[in-house]
Amino acid sequence: MKQKFFVLLALLVLVSMLMTACGGGAVETPASEPPAGGQEPAPVEPAAPAQPTFSGTVTITFTQEPDNLNPMYTDMSFSGYLRPFYLKPSWDFDENAKPIPVLAKEIPSVDNGGLSADGKSVTIKLRDDITWSDGEPLTADDYVFTYDMIMSDKNVPLSRYPYEDYVTSVEAPDPTTVVITFNKPFAAWLTSLFYWVLPKHILQPVFEADGTIDNAEWNRNPTVGVGPFMLSEWETGSHLAFKANPNWIQPPKLEQVFIRIVPDDAAQEAAIFAGDTDIGVFLSSDQIDKLEATGKVKVVAVTSGYNEAWFLNVNPDTTHPAMLDVNVRKAIALATDRFTIVNDLLKAEINPVNVTYWDMTPPYQTDTLKPYPYDPEQAKQLLDAAGWIDSDGDGIRDKVIDGKKVDLKLRYITNQRELRKNVQAVVEQQWKLVGIGVELINYSSDVFWNSYNDGGPQAQGLYEIAEFSSVQDSYPDPDASSGWTCDQITSADNPEGGNNQGYCNPEIDKLMAEQATTLDPVKRKELYNQIEQIIYDDYVYIGMWKDPDLWSVSSRLKNVKFSGVYPFWNAYEWEVTD
Amino acid sequence: MTNYIIRRLAQAIPQLFLISVILFALMQAFGDPIATLGGRIPPRPEDRERLRRQLGLDQPVYKQYITWLIGNDWTKIDMDGDGVPETPGKRRGVLRGDWGNSLVTRQPVLEMIGNRLPNTLLLMLTAEFVIILSSIFIGLYSALRPYSWIDNLLTGLSFVGYSMPVFWLALMLMYIFAVNFRRWGLPYLPTVGMFDPAVGKTPGELIKHMILPVATLAIISTAGYSRFVRSSVLEVLGQDYVRTARAKGLRAMKVVFRHALPNAALPFITIIGLDIPILLAGAVVTERIFAWPGMGRLFIDHTERSDFPMLMGILMLISMAVVIFQIITDVVYSIVDPRIRLH
Repeated sequence: MKQKFFVLLALLVLVSMLMTACGGGAVETPASEPPAGGQEPAPVEPAAPAQPTFSGTVTITFTQEPDNLNPMYTDMSFSGYLRPFYLKPSWDFDENAKPIPVLAKEIPSVDNGGLSADGKSVTIKLRDDITWSDGEPLTADDYVFTYDMIMSDKNVPLSRYPYEDYVTSVEAPDPTTVVITFNKPFAAWLTSLFYWVLPKHILQPVFEADGTIDNAEWNRNPTVGVGPFMLSEWETGSHLAFKANPNWIQPPKLEQVFIRIVPDDAAQEAAIFAGDTDIGVFLSSDQIDKLEATGKVKVVAVTSGYNEAWFLNVNPDTTHPAMLDVNVRKAIALATDRFTIVNDLLKAEINPVNVTYWDMTPPYQTDTLKPYPYDPEQAKQLLDAAGWIDSDGDGIRDKVIDGKKVDLKLRYITNQRELRKNVQAVVEQQWKLVGIGVELINYSSDVFWNSYNDGGPQAQGLYEIAEFSSVQDSYPDPDASSGWTCDQITSADNPEGGNNQGYCNPEIDKLMAEQATTLDPVKRKELYNQIEQIIYDDYVYIGMWKDPDLWSVSSRLKNVKFSGVYPFWNAYEWEVTD
Repeated sequence: MTNYIIRRLAQAIPQLFLISVILFALMQAFGDPIATLGGRIPPRPEDRERLRRQLGLDQPVYKQYITWLIGNDWTKIDMDGDGVPETPGKRRGVLRGDWGNSLVTRQPVLEMIGNRLPNTLLLMLTAEFVIILSSIFIGLYSALRPYSWIDNLLTGLSFVGYSMPVFWLALMLMYIFAVNFRRWGLPYLPTVGMFDPAVGKTPGELIKHMILPVATLAIISTAGYSRFVRSSVLEVLGQDYVRTARAKGLRAMKVVFRHALPNAALPFITIIGLDIPILLAGAVVTERIFAWPGMGRLFIDHTERSDFPMLMGILMLISMAVVIFQIITDVVYSIVDPRIRLH
C-alpha cells in the first residue's frame, strides 16, 4: 500500500516537473548561439549588410509582476518600466527629464510649427524609417487607431486621460503627420500625449473579430513592438525575457534582458549580494550602505516626482474642529521634528525634508521657501493662544466648543508600510511634548485608497492627517488641478472628487486654471511658485521627505542612465563587461 | 463502493454551492479593486466611475454573483455610460466553464491558475515526498528506540524545526548557501527563481533551484510529521497482535514493517489526505522568498489588489480539492483497513 502511494507521488512529481520544464516553451537563450535576429541562421555571405552583434544578458529584479503589457490597460509602475524595451514613445525623457524625439522627428514647438500659437493644436511629424518589429511601417494611422481604441466604448481602458478631457480629434493627413486638436489650450500635452502607440495592423483585426481589444493576445504577449528589444517570453510569476531587435533604429548592444519577479525585498537583497541580479528596484535608503559595501553595486537615486507628505484634512464636515484654525495647523507643523525623522529612519542626503508638493518636479519647485522649522515652544504658544489648553491634566489639550469639552486628539492615517508605522510612533512621542493626542491608524493599501462610496477612509475624510507618497498625474508635468481645486472636493454629491482634504481657496482655483492653459514654461513656473506660496501659508500640506526611486546597478553593467519618467529609456545603450 | 462515491459526489454539489455563496459574500469585505488598478497613484475620478460601470462593479452583490455563477450573455450591459444597456454581455458563468477574467490582468482566471499549478505541484509534491520519507524514517527510528539519546536529540531538533518561522529559515538558508558560500568560494546554490537565464530552463537548473525551497518546507513540516509517526508507531507496538507476532518468533524487521507500520499508517493517511488539497494552495511564504511562481503567490498578489474573480477561482479550486480528497481518503481507508466498510 505504502509503496504504491510513493510510486504515485513520485510519478506526480515527475509529471509536474515535465509540465513545468516543457510548458511555455523553454527560453532559447544559450549565449553561444549566433545572435542573429529572428529564426533564420546568420548570413554567411560577407556581402550581407553587417548585422549588429549582441552579447550578454542583463537580469533585473521586479518586486511586483506587471499586470498587462498593453499600456491602455495599466498604469502600474512595473508595466511602465518595461515599455522602453518594446514600445517606445513619441519622445523619451532623458536622465534630466529633457524630451528627446524617438518616433517623432522633432519635439513639436511653436518655432517649428508643431505647436499652434494658441496652444490648441499639436502636429507630430513622424520619422519615416520606423517599422514595427515584424517589418510593418509605423505610420500616423497607428496614432489615430490608438486614439480610437482609447475612446471606444467597446473597450475598458484604465484611463482616458487626457483624450477625454482635452482632445477633440486626432487626424492623419499623411502617413508621417499626426494632427491633434484640443478643445482648449492644453499645457501638459508633452508628457501625456502618445507616449505609447498601438500596432493597428495587429489589433484592428482583433477589434473587428471580438468587438473589443480588452482580451487581445497582444496585451499579454506583445511580440510585435517598436523598440530596441522584443518580448520573447512571459512566464507568469516567474520572468519576462526580451531579446534584441536588430531592426530598431538604435540597435541595442545586449542580447537579452531578463526580468525576474522577486516579490520579497529581503530575497531581492540577497540576490543583489549574490550577483544574481544586475538591477534591483525600489530599494530603501537603509539598504544603500550595506549594498555599496560589497564594492560590486552602486545605488542610484532617481527623481520621479514623488514626495512623502502629510495631507491635512480641513473639511469642516469631516475633520476635527481644531483643524479649521490655521494656527493649530501651524502648531502641528512646528511640533513635528521631521529633520530627526529623516536622519534616524531614512538617509538624510537621499531623503531630505521636502517643502511643497512640487519639490521633485523641477523646474516647478520652490526656490525660496524653506521647510517649516521644528519649534515646539512656539507650537505650545500657538495652541495656548488658540484656546487649546490641557484643563484636565491628562496630557492632551482640550477646549470647550458649544458647551462640550473636545480633546485635541487627531486621527493620523496611513497604510501598513513598516517605515510609516515607525514614523507614526516617533510623531506620537514628539506630539506628547506639546500636548497633542493622536490616534494612529493603519489600513491595507486597497482599503486606504478605497473610493468614497466604498467607505475609503481617505475619500470620506476619516482623518486629520493622511500620510503617503504621491506625484502629479502626468509627471514631469506639474499639473495637479485634480487634487487642489474647490470643485474637486469629495462629498456624497461628488464621490469621485480628488480633493478629500476639503481644501478650498479661490486664489488656487484661479491660478490652477491659468497654469493649465499657460504654454510658456517660465510663466508657468511663476504661477506654480505662487500656488506653492499659498499652500505653504495655509499649512494644509506638510512635507515629510523627498522620495526618489532607488535602483541598484551591478558594476558589470555600463551606460545605465535612469530617467525618472522611463527609467530604462536608454536600454539600447546598455552594455555588460564580464 | 461505486454507489458510495457517487452519493458523496452528489452531496458535494450543494456543499460547494454554499461555499461559493459564502466566499462571494466575504469578497465584499475586500477593498475596492479599482483603487489599486493604477499602481502607485489611484485612477482619476472620471475613470473610476467608468471602470466600475464597465466592469459591472456598480451592480448589486447578488447580481454580480449571478453573473459569476451563470453569466450575463442573455442580457445587455451599459458600456457607454448613457444609462441604457446596449452591449450584449459576454460572460458565460462558472457553471458553463467560464471562471471570468482577472480584474488586474484581464486574463481568464482558469488560464492564470493553469500557468501556476504545475509549478506549485512540482515544488509541493517534491517537498511532500521528502517530508513523508524523512518523517517515517525519523519517526520509526525514534519509536523503535524510545527515550534513547538519539530519540531525545531528534525530539529536540523537531521542536526547533517546528518552531522556526518559515521566512526566517528561508532567508537563513539563502544567505548561508547562496550568498555566503559564493563569497567563500564554496559550491553554492542560486538565490531566487527557477533557472539561470544564461543557462536556460533545463531539468538540472530546476533541481538546483528547488533545493533550498524544498529544504525549507521539509525542515518545518518533517518536525511535526515525524512526531506524529513516532507516537502512532509507539502505540501500535504496545498492541496485543504485535506481542503475538513477536512471541511467535518473527524477525524484528518483519514485525515492524508487516504488522506495526500498516496499522500505524491509518491516522497518517488521514493527515496526508487533508494536506494534499492544501498543497494546491502553495506555500505563500516560501514561494514569495524564493520567487517561485506558484499558486500561493498568485493568491497573495491578487488579494492585495482585491481581484475577486481570481480569488474566487483559487478558493473554489481548493474547496473542490478538499472535498474530492476527503472522498479519496475515505476510500483509501477502506482499502488499507478491511474492517472499514463504506456504504
